Amino acid sequence: MMKCEEFERFGLDMDRADAQPQEAAAAAEHVSACPGCAALLESWRELKQDLRVLNETTRLQSAPTRVEMRLKQELRTRREARVPRRTVTLASWALSAAAVLAAAIGWMHWHGGVAAPTNTASSGPAQIAETSSNRAAESILLAADYDSGDFTQLPGTMPTASSDESILEARVQRGALMQFGLPVAPEQATEWVDVDFLVGEDGQPLAVRLHQDSQTEAATQ
Amino acid sequence: MKLIDEKEPLLLKRAVRGDEQAFLALYQKHQGPLYRYALRMTGSPWAAEEVIQEVFLLLIREPQKFRPDRGELGAFLFGVTRNRVMKHLERLPRERSLDEINANGTAWREPEDPLTPMMIAEKSERIEQVREAVLDLPAEFREAVVLCELEEMSYEEAARRCGCPVGTIRSRLHRGRALLLAKLELLRDAPRRASAGAR
Repeated sequence: MMKCEEFERFGLDMDRADAQPQEAAAAAEHVSACPGCAALLESWRELKQDLRVLNETTRLQSAPTRVEMRLKQELRTRREARVPRRTVTLASWALSAAAVLAAAIGWMHWHGGVAAPTNTASSGPAQIAETSSNRAAESILLAADYDSGDFTQLPGTMPTASSDESILEARVQRGALMQFGLPVAPEQATEWVDVDFLVGEDGQPLAVRLHQDSQTEAATQ
Repeated sequence: MKLIDEKEPLLLKRAVRGDEQAFLALYQKHQGPLYRYALRMTGSPWAAEEVIQEVFLLLIREPQKFRPDRGELGAFLFGVTRNRVMKHLERLPRERSLDEINANGTAWREPEDPLTPMMIAEKSERIEQVREAVLDLPAEFREAVVLCELEEMSYEEAARRCGCPVGTIRSRLHRGRALLLAKLELLRDAPRRASAGAR
């Protein structure tokens, strides 16, 4: 038989879904014989009812919408903060790559400028381009930012105001100039002439001029 | 597939990468119970709001603190909420009256009831007394009452949430009930065995 102290401690659980059956049965037996504990149980049941009403009135409460808005703002701020960081990273890589490329081109130009010249002829635009890019021994790179006023623009190229052009001196047969779209008399096709090519920063020839002595020589012939 | 059906760790990963919809799915699933717990424990809508905001900000800023291998996200969020609530209670032993709760209109909503105005008023007063009495309990007892009686969790579930043995929860609940009964019966001027459990 449950005592009053035990009932006070465990008896009020008798209505709970997870009450232990033996405990609940003992509590029910006790309360049927003890008016004091029966009154306590009645008080508790009234209170429990009020607690249920209290629970019901607050059952659907949730955080105000402004909390959600603040959190969304935080999320957006963090997302936006991440994007520039990624952009900065990419930009720094791109700048580094550009710097390396510029240094490599500068070194190649410098290296080409001090290389020993040879007068071996080249016979076509492909060779000219190759020459300008790898500074083959058959040509001499003279200078950049050279006055290009005497040059003849090659067909299919656009005049540029770029300061990154180079002048490439070469000795070629006149017939090779035909491949750049320049008119050459067939009987002079085998003559060797000294020419300057104006080469763009992409290594492609933009204009050409014959050396003065070559022109004179051609005129005398 | 709805976002809500996705596994929470995956949703959280997406949320951390800035996916607003994934974050909202998590927020909407968990905020309600956490807010009600915080509100019932603090008695202050402002404090509950602050707690909920802090909990989800933590989730955004330090998601690595949640370890899926240690339990579910809901349990983690409850733990964080509980810590914040306890800190709040330590810092500010209930300063705000329940009138303030009602004044801002968010905490109290009278259910539709086919009673006379007099009966409705009496019922409202009684429920207010209960709310007051719950908020006057010491935090540990209040928590046991909130979890086991208001939210009607099982002892096992409440013990798991609080990180203590079932026996501790039952003991706290016993003391909480006794204090509630004593206070309310004194308030209602109808002592039956008001001091029985509070001895």
